[in-house]
This record gives sequence, C-alpha cells and structure tokens, in this order.
Amino acid sequence: MHEPLFSACIRGAGAVLSLARTTLDGVQARRGKDAPLAYPETAYELPVAFGLTELRVTTLSGAGAVLDLARTLIREGATAENAMDAGAATLLAADVLGALSHENGNPYPPPSVGFVPDSVLRKLGIFMVDGSVPGVAVVIGNAADPAAAAAMVRHFQEIGLLVFLAGEVTGQMGAQGVKLGEDFKTFPLGPLPAVIHAVNFAVRAGLTFGGIGRGQAQAMLSYLGNRVKAFVCALGPLDDVALAIAAGAMKAGLTVLADEAVPEIPGLLLSRPAGEEMALAGMEARGIKVKWVKLPVPIAFGPAFEGERIRKSDTHVEFGGGRSAAFELVRMSPPEEVRDREITVSGTDLRGLPKGTILPLAIVVRVAGSRMQKDFESVLERRIHRIVNYGEGTMHVAQRDTTWIRISTEAVEKGFTLSDLGMMLYAKLHADFENIVDKVAVTILTREKDVAAGLSEARAAYAERDARARTLTDDAVSEFYSCTLCQSFAPNHVCIVSPERLGLCGAINWLDGKAGFEITPTGPNQPVEKGAVLDPVKGAFGGINDFVRQHSRNTVREMNLYSIMDAPMTSCGCFECILAIIPEANGVMAVNREFAGQETPCGMGFSTLAGSVGGGVQTPGFMGVGKHYLLSRKFLGAEGGLARVVWMTKEMKEQLGPALRERAAEIGIPDLVDKIADETVAVTPEQLVSHMETVGHPALSLPPLL
Amino acid sequence: MTVSPSIPTFPGRILEVTLPAGPGGSPVVVGGQNALPLLPEGDHPHAPAVGMEIRTGPEELPPALAEVIGPFSGNPAALAQKCVSGWGARFLFLSLSGCNPDAGGQGVQDGAAIVREVLAATATPVIVGGCGDEDVDGRLFPAVAEAATRPVFLSYAEEKNYRLVAGAALAYGHGVVSWSPIDINIAKQINLLLADLGFPGERVLIDPLTGGLGYGLEYTYSIVERVRLAGLSGDAMLARPILCHLGDAWKAREASDASEPGWGDSALRGRRWEEATGLACLAAGADLLVCRHPENVKRLSEAAWR
Repeated sequence: MHEPLFSACIRGAGAVLSLARTTLDGVQARRGKDAPLAYPETAYELPVAFGLTELRVTTLSGAGAVLDLARTLIREGATAENAMDAGAATLLAADVLGALSHENGNPYPPPSVGFVPDSVLRKLGIFMVDGSVPGVAVVIGNAADPAAAAAMVRHFQEIGLLVFLAGEVTGQMGAQGVKLGEDFKTFPLGPLPAVIHAVNFAVRAGLTFGGIGRGQAQAMLSYLGNRVKAFVCALGPLDDVALAIAAGAMKAGLTVLADEAVPEIPGLLLSRPAGEEMALAGMEARGIKVKWVKLPVPIAFGPAFEGERIRKSDTHVEFGGGRSAAFELVRMSPPEEVRDREITVSGTDLRGLPKGTILPLAIVVRVAGSRMQKDFESVLERRIHRIVNYGEGTMHVAQRDTTWIRISTEAVEKGFTLSDLGMMLYAKLHADFENIVDKVAVTILTREKDVAAGLSEARAAYAERDARARTLTDDAVSEFYSCTLCQSFAPNHVCIVSPERLGLCGAINWLDGKAGFEITPTGPNQPVEKGAVLDPVKGAFGGINDFVRQHSRNTVREMNLYSIMDAPMTSCGCFECILAIIPEANGVMAVNREFAGQETPCGMGFSTLAGSVGGGVQTPGFMGVGKHYLLSRKFLGAEGGLARVVWMTKEMKEQLGPALRERAAEIGIPDLVDKIADETVAVTPEQLVSHMETVGHPALSLPPLL
Repeated sequence: MTVSPSIPTFPGRILEVTLPAGPGGSPVVVGGQNALPLLPEGDHPHAPAVGMEIRTGPEELPPALAEVIGPFSGNPAALAQKCVSGWGARFLFLSLSGCNPDAGGQGVQDGAAIVREVLAATATPVIVGGCGDEDVDGRLFPAVAEAATRPVFLSYAEEKNYRLVAGAALAYGHGVVSWSPIDINIAKQINLLLADLGFPGERVLIDPLTGGLGYGLEYTYSIVERVRLAGLSGDAMLARPILCHLGDAWKAREASDASEPGWGDSALRGRRWEEATGLACLAAGADLLVCRHPENVKRLSEAAWR
C-alpha cells in the first residue's frame, strides 16, 4: 500500500533534479562554469553536499557534480529504500537550487528570510545544545484551516521550539498575526522550495555542534536522527515534490506528519489533523519534552516548603489519614492509553468548600515511557509524598492507602484546586524522571463510590507489587547497583545495594538504584554484575569485588555483603544505625542515629561509634546499615543472622515493630524480640550477659564470633 | 647491597590540551605526561604553566595586591599587557566579576566588550570566567563566545549549565573548563556529560575547585591527587589537565588582615599565602595555576620545573 507513495517520492525527486539541472545550465550559460557559487554568510559551502558527500562546491561546475551524484541516487522501483535515497537526492538538488537562487542575497520578499546565516545558527544552536530549545518544528504547505495551524505554531512558540515555515503557510501565519522572526525563534523561509533552508540549517547544526566533519554521511544522518529533535508538519495536499522532500526528511530520521490521508510508516510518516494532535504526535515521535520553568499553579512550589506542617486550625480541606478513604497509585500504561498532560478531576473540587471539610480521595497517575518499567511504579509513587509537600499550603503524610493530605485555608483562598495538585504531580514527575517518563496523566476522584471502587483496584496493585518484591531476592537477580553518591566526603566508600540489602542510608533500595541508573546513566548508581558466587553465605561475589576494588581505587580489595566480621561493607557516614559486636555477649548490638544516650553495652553512644565506623574504612565488627536490613533474610548470614542481635535501642524495636517479630518467627525464634535487651535492661556487657542468660538468648549458643 | 626503588608505571596518559594564542603569541600546551608531578620518572613533555587573574569588578584589594595591581584597577587591558610582558604570565584568566549584579552590575555586552579589549591588547592565551550569578552567566557565556575574536576557554561548565557553556563553546570553537565542587565523581560525571554532547576532549580542562591554605586546601590537594591518579590509571574522563585557581587563598584572613601586627608584614604574608597554596597544588598535580600576585608568577614558575 506504500508503493504509490514511494513512486511519487521518486517522481518528485526526478522533477526537482531536472529543475535544478535546467536552472544550473541557464546560470552556467550566463556566468560560465567557473563562476563562484555559495550561500551568503556560511563556512559550509552548500551545506547538504558538505555534510553528506565528499564533494567540494565552490563553483557552478562543482554544483553540477552534486547533481550528477544525486542522479545516481534516483533508482526505479517503488521500495522504501529507493524512496529514501530519492529523498536524499532531492535534498542535494534542492540545496543547489537554493544556492543558485541566492546569487543576489535573499530572493524572497519580506518577511521571508531565505537562507539562515551561520551567525543565527550559532546563536540558536547554543540553546538547542542547552535544551532550552527542546526541538525543531518545520511547518510546510497550505493550511486548510489557517486558524488551527496558527494555534499549533503558537503552541510551538510557547514551549520554545524552533519553527521554520515554508509554503503558503508562511503568509497564512502572518495573516493570522503569529509573531515571526528571530526573537520568536520562528523563521518564515519562503515558498515551499525554501524548506531546504531548514534542512541545511539542521545539517550545519551537526557540522558546528556535533563535531562532524565534511562528508561523514553516516555520522551526519545519525546526528540528525538522534540529536536534532525535528519533525515536519505537512499541511494540505502533498504533491510529488513535497513528498520527495518529505522522503529526504525521513531519510535523516525526521518524522513527517501530514494532515491528509497518507499510508503511515511508524515513527516516520504519520497522518494527524493539524493542531494539538499533530503537535503532540510530532513531539512524542521525536522525544521532545517540555520543561516547565515555573509551574502554572497559584501557590508557591519548591523544596523550601517540604518541611511545612499544616495544623488543624489552618487546614481547610483534608483527605484520608483515617478520616476518609484515600489512596494514591501510580500505574504504568501502554503509551496509546495515556494522554500526556491530561488532568482529570471528578467530583467535588476545593473551591467553595467550607473550612474543615473531609473528603475521600483517589489519586491515580498513569505514566508511559519507552524506558519505563513496572518496577518503577513504586519509585514514582513514593515521590508523590515529596511533590505534594513541595507546595506551600499542601501537606502529605504516609503512602498508598494510608495517605493523608491537608490543604491550607490560605492555599484555597489563593484559588488552589485539585487540578493544580494534578499539575504539580504531572510536571514534577516529568522533570524528576525525565529519562524514563514520556507521558503522564493524572486522575483525581473525590466521590465516595469512585474512591471505593478505585481502592479495591489499588489494593490489588499493592498486593501484586508486594508479591513481586518478595520474589526480588539477591539470588534471583544478576545485577546489584552501586551507590557512590557519598564519595564526595568518603572518597573510597562504595555502597552495594542488593534487593535484600538496602543502602546504609536507608534511602536507596535496589529498585531506586535501578531507576537512578535509568534517569542518570552517568550518575552514582551503576549496575554491577554479581559475577561468580564465591561464597553464598558470606555474600562474596567476583563481580562485586572487582567493582568495589576499582571504585574504591584499590583501597577495599574485597567485600562480603552479608558479614560484619570478615571484609564487611564500608560505611560513608549516612548510616541509619550502627551494628557493633559485644564480644562478651557473642553477639551484636544495634543503635540508631536518633538515640541520644551515651550508654550502650559497647561503651559508646551513636555519635562516638559513628566516628570510628564511617569514612569508607573496613572495620571488622563494626558496620553502618539501613534499619530495614535487620529484617532481611540476608542479614549477617555469615554470623548466624538475626539471632546474633543481643541489644537494640527501644526506639528501633518500636520502629521495626511487627515486621521484626514476623522475621523472628520466620527463623523459628518467635520470642527473640523480647530476649533482645535494650537501654532499660542493660547498658554494660555484664548486665547484658546476665540478662541473656536469664532469658536464654540464642546468641549464647552460636559459634564464637571471635 | 643495593636497593632499587620500585618505580610505578601507569597505563594512562594525560590528554594534551592547547590554550591557543593570538597572532604572535605563544600558545600554552599542558598535559601529555604519564607520571606523577615533579618526579624524575616518566614523560613530562610540558611543565605546568602559571597565569594571572584579571578581575573586572570593583573590589577591595588585600594590601599585598593593592600595591602591585591596584594602579591598574578599572583598566583590564592595561593590566593584561602588564601581566604578560611585565610579569611573565603565560596565560590570563579574565574573570568578568563586574557583571555580577552585586559587584558592579556591568551589562553582558560590557563584559563581552572587555573580552574583546583584552584579546586585542595581548596575544596570550585567555580563559574567560563568568561572574558567578547563574542568570547573568547564562547570558554572558553566549555573548562572550560570540564576541571573542579568537579561541578562548570558557570557565566554567558545571552540572547545571554545562549544556549552555558547551553549546556556546562549540558554536564558536572555544574550549571549556569543567568545574566540580571538590568532588571526584562530579568531576568525572561532568566530563562524561561533556563527552556525551560530543564536546572534544582536547578542549577541556578540569577545575576541581581550589581551597586556599587553611581553608580547604587539603581537600583540594587530595582531590587533585586522586583525579590525577585515576587519569594515569586509565580513566579517560579524568585524564585531563587540571587547573587550580588560587584566588581563594586571598580570602583567608591571614592573607589580607593588616590589623594583626603580630602576624608580620601583611603584604609579604599575603603573597606567601598564595605561593604556599600554589606549591601544594603543583605537588598534587596541577597543570595550570592562576595567581594574582606578580611575584608568584615567577616563584611558582620556578617551582614548576617539569
């Protein structure tokens, strides 16, 4: 079904080439074959030939050589490959025509600019490299509905795209009052053939900013395809010539969107009505993402407000927290099911509600992205907590179906609505997870029955996720993740984060590490192959040892993931709690950061101990860990696991709560938690040992630690 | 019995970087070594180079500097000529501090004009520094990149602005100084990010942030040493010449406070403070030193014997 299209491209290429040949012959007859040929104000001769061929073009006869080469690219046979090559031939020939037309400078009447000189390219190119110009839209043809096309171009301008116009649409946009010119990054090039100046602009961008040399055609095509985030909006009927130019754009990896019916080629040729739908499709196809400089919400937004508490007296509306049903859920969905920036609020919104209102609430965020993974749902969902707290006048506590959100009276008076809350989530999830999220849609429900219905779906999702988490074990995965974030102050410390041993700061688990790597591939979280299993009990792995050795710059030569006595993991300084051996008790104690007391059975409080544990040094017998590591099946595997814990602060016991008892039951010592001493029972080794003997602590019968 | 000391050999080599000069000037070439600084073994094709800083904003100069560079205040081009022909600076670090809204508030175009003046006044290699205000620098670097009549280095590209600075440098053929806050990982990351953009490695210098003596020098020392060891050990992203800017040495009270007679002559003290900071940086592995006291150009250049 593509054959007629391909044939048209090839016919169009032939037509452009013939026209170029005739025009060139005419000029040659007038000026001689050695007459110079160049665009004004560029260092790149005829840029398309410069970028894609070895030919040097400074004279009319040089241009003839380009046309000869182009001729060899036009082959009969309606195949995709032939059509694309014909497209490349079209671009080469059109650039010759373009240069010929610039013999006396810009041939077009204002506002059309014709060829865009290098000086403008340099200025704008900086912002393309910078990302503040997120992409390029080339709008060509004749709009059937000029108002809709104008709205689309204005949308491009709002988000900062560089816009080129060619064809009747140039005049149409002027008539619609669309602002044109360099200040608006919108260049009316001229009639349809002038679209070549968008192409030679892109080629020169590759030559200037991509470090690509003359004639490196493959590097140039790859630069155009991957770096120049450009797409073409073709309005109105497409004749053979327009299709040949479009084929050239596709050859360079650009997406062409037509508002007429065309046989689609996924990713390259799409048919969409002009307007928002065409704009979104083009941006999506080219991976253009919009960055919000300032969020369009009526309240201030930023980390400065993260710690803000909203007291009952300042609360206007409240959701969840045990007072009403409420939940939040992030779901990954197929791209076609998510409309980016769709924020739906269904049910009562905040405006006009009396102070003290309590409402049910469901927040469902649907995300799609080519690099999104189902495992990242929980990582994104936990971010909701921080995002809501970033608002001045919005407070968020807890997560999942225990979530609790308060909105202050001041915020409601400023006009804050639930759509604004949705906007906060939308924009920040995009910004924070730029590399993995392409589309975000937020649905907020406040009707009792909607929330109840959603809640059962959400609980099923949580259960599914928890089940998945249980299957994520150190033995089941082949890669762990590193975290070297703390090397700024502990230069040789390397954290290895595995599914069953979270980072010692407690802030990064294996999934966070995985997501962190996807978000910043050059960042502190890198995948680490486990490699050969040298000792499954101690947690010794060949790949981990290699990585730690290299990244500690040869300081830590080996590291056992599940041992405190034999080559334990080093600590930076951020540990949630410290484990320290008590030789007399044949066990270890655990003291958390918040514990202010100085009296523990090892004779040191947290801060004193921290001084000897941190700094990236291996200190057998002492180790900083995340609190939840105590609940892991891999906790001190080499030393006998949780049964080794003989002392723990009261606060930690409370924080770990029922999960600690469950884990104790799992290892067959259901009363272990009660046998573990705390600061109210023992603060010296003697007191500790006598307590252990009284209650019969299992550590006493474990093999000696030393 | 003779003991032969074990001499470490490294698999890596530091990338050679050229700071281009104008017509008639001498370019500065650094890097190319495959061994630790100042030691006899290995190749050291280029000795470290010492340059001088020129600041454009109004400032109260410490006594040690007031007497020597004070007379040039407000005339960066004249100071530039003096630094090169009078004091032997091999390159200039032109800080456009005057564009900072809190220190002079010159316009971006004024800053660009100063760059042109200085480039016209001397043929020596130039590194142009921003003013430290994020917004202003965002406009200043593109303007400077466009205004510079010959290739310079732009200082600096950091995590927040590297795309803009690299873009400006790519557009007009300049180099960049990659900056990190005394953090080897960020130093590596910013170089990786620059490489991802396609920025040519032979146009990048590393500025690891130099703390003055008594005010963080030991951290810098350790980072410079580790960056160099990593580079020599084969980490290509860190195998780049290192620039140490000694400006922080002058922020130490000991370097400038004349009200403490018991501490000795404040002018001598200030100069020595900068010298000591620079010597430590050389020992750690710096390839380029930026100082402010003319006498230190000579002293540090003598110390940088290979």
